[in-house]
Amino acid sequence: MAQNSIKGRLIAIVVLSQALLAAGLLFTGIYYTRQSLLSTLDASMQARAMSVAALVRYTEDASGNVYFDDALVPPSIDPGHPDLFAVWTEKSGMLAHSANWPAGLEVSPTGGAHWNFKWAHVHYRGLRVFQAPVLDREEGPSFHPQTLTIVYAAPTKRIQEQVRTAGIFIALSSLVLLAATVLLALWGIRRGLLPLQQLAQQAELVSSHNWELHLPQDAPQIAELRPLIRSMETMLARLERSFVQQKEFLGNAAHELKTPVAVLKSTLQSLLQRPRTSEDYQRGLEHSLEDLERLEQLLQWMLRLARAEQWAHGALRRDLQMIDVTATCEEAVERIRHLAEDRHTTIHLSKNGQVPFRADPEDLQLIWSNLLENAVRYSPEGGSVEVAVERKDGGNARVTFQDNGPGIPPSDLPHVFERFYRGDASRARATGGFGLGLAIAKALVEAYGGTITADSAPGKGTRMTVELPVTPEIRP
Amino acid sequence: MRVLIIEDEPRLAENIARSLRESAGYAVDIANDGQEGLFMAESNEYDAVLLDLMLPQLDGMQLLSRIRKAGQRTPVLVVTARDDKESVVALLNAGADDYLTKPFDLGELLARTKALIRRGKGQSSPVLTIGDLELNTVSRNVQRGGRAVTLTAMEYRVLEYLLHRPRAVVSKTELLEHLYDYNWEKFSNVIEVYISGLRRKLDHGSAKELIHTVRGQGYILQD
Repeated sequence: MAQNSIKGRLIAIVVLSQALLAAGLLFTGIYYTRQSLLSTLDASMQARAMSVAALVRYTEDASGNVYFDDALVPPSIDPGHPDLFAVWTEKSGMLAHSANWPAGLEVSPTGGAHWNFKWAHVHYRGLRVFQAPVLDREEGPSFHPQTLTIVYAAPTKRIQEQVRTAGIFIALSSLVLLAATVLLALWGIRRGLLPLQQLAQQAELVSSHNWELHLPQDAPQIAELRPLIRSMETMLARLERSFVQQKEFLGNAAHELKTPVAVLKSTLQSLLQRPRTSEDYQRGLEHSLEDLERLEQLLQWMLRLARAEQWAHGALRRDLQMIDVTATCEEAVERIRHLAEDRHTTIHLSKNGQVPFRADPEDLQLIWSNLLENAVRYSPEGGSVEVAVERKDGGNARVTFQDNGPGIPPSDLPHVFERFYRGDASRARATGGFGLGLAIAKALVEAYGGTITADSAPGKGTRMTVELPVTPEIRP
Repeated sequence: MRVLIIEDEPRLAENIARSLRESAGYAVDIANDGQEGLFMAESNEYDAVLLDLMLPQLDGMQLLSRIRKAGQRTPVLVVTARDDKESVVALLNAGADDYLTKPFDLGELLARTKALIRRGKGQSSPVLTIGDLELNTVSRNVQRGGRAVTLTAMEYRVLEYLLHRPRAVVSKTELLEHLYDYNWEKFSNVIEVYISGLRRKLDHGSAKELIHTVRGQGYILQD
């Protein structure tokens, strides 16, 4: 299972925690078994030691001396592994020891009550009983009772074996449990991840021809999948929208580009269809040139739009300088003056001092002249266009363009900034536009972090409002 | 033959019209927007309609379905800038007979228009014949019994139309409708002039008359 698969990770977590649990169980099991066996052993040894103590007797002479009666030595705890013992008196030192006491084994009568030791490859547990009374009582005035120290040791081989058996049993059952848990976890995880898998399968079916995401039945009920589904749905909707827009743009661009080419081609072909008079050729060539110029203009507009949009998406970085918005507006008005005069339209610019702004002056001029040209073209002959530049509180710049033209129908208003959008194509052709000016203006305004809005009502003219933030957020 | 061009680019429409008039001898009307186009298509008899798709007022697709819904069977050749499969399929399904993508070749447009008109009238060959009369719509030559016949432009148009509808009674009004465009004053007696000219040229030296008069109804071309 790959490390970067959820299933793999979950299984790893299950196995790891189960293994930790098993190790803990094994450790405590062994420890507890060993402790309880040892304490049983200790109790048995205590009893045996007392039995050994009972074998110490006073001599009949009332001297207080003792002897060891080895007739009734207690049997070993583990018959297979004989115990050892030794008895000390306070008067005469070591009194006796068991018959199997190994030669050379030195055991001190002083020290802790319990200890472990090893002799001749055999592990023993030792017990010291201090001040055990001699049970055989003698009475007398000169009698001094003695106390004994008894050392009793038993081999721990059987305990070790028992502990090992218990350990093996615990380990084996843990392993079986572990395997069962892993299988259960695998099944559960696979089942749990099934909605995710189904969702992925459905997502795979989404394409540019079919944007609909068919959700698996139970997927929306799963809390963890809900945010994913939500974001997938919004992402798909956004994608679809931009796809459709792109397609529309391509269709429109194709139409706009192919039509002048078709005109040009048909003009030239029809000129060549039969011999013509030189006037005919002259007129044909003039027409062709006009069409070429229009094509060239369209290409320029499209390139301008592409650049503006690229700039808006932060693909270009330019050196910006501090400029005066009012001055760029004045220049734009000057540029459009001759068009306005042709149409007997007056342009009135109301200004209120300098409005500083950090930008490329070319960009601002392009925005203003596109908006102005639009306002002039869509104003009736002899109309007027009001341009106002102001500095709002906080230093933001606001420029408005108000015309007294026929206005934009409410159905067209949301689309005026779309590329190639023309409310009325025949009138647009008569006014000579391509439907790109507003799209370019919008792209540029947005590149400077500003906003552009259109307000209009039929018969009441149109007002375009551009707001530019004083600290342009140039997107990286 | 009379053709309607519905195209919002005036110069393109003009170029196509000139080519159709000069090279095919068709009468041509032009509409510059969808509304006008629909009105003209509904109120006149056309032998073919050339339709642009992106039109102001009423787009080409809507116009097409409107005239098809009204039961018009005039062949429609769509001229479009869009050449993706989906829109072509949608076009043909909406009742278009053929399509051509911009920028197109005028020669191809002419050939397709001729073919559409021919097929619309049940003729499959560009050479129309009846008896020993033969008219080649491509080279625009006429022969009777192997002998070349020289016709004036109008005589050729009348004969071409009659040959597209052989053995059927064709009224003077029908001939006028299909031979003149919208801007012409239509006088029915000019038809008689062309018919008599045709009779003189075609029947000269032949035993059999081809153009017969059906009194009060019109003319019939049969051998």
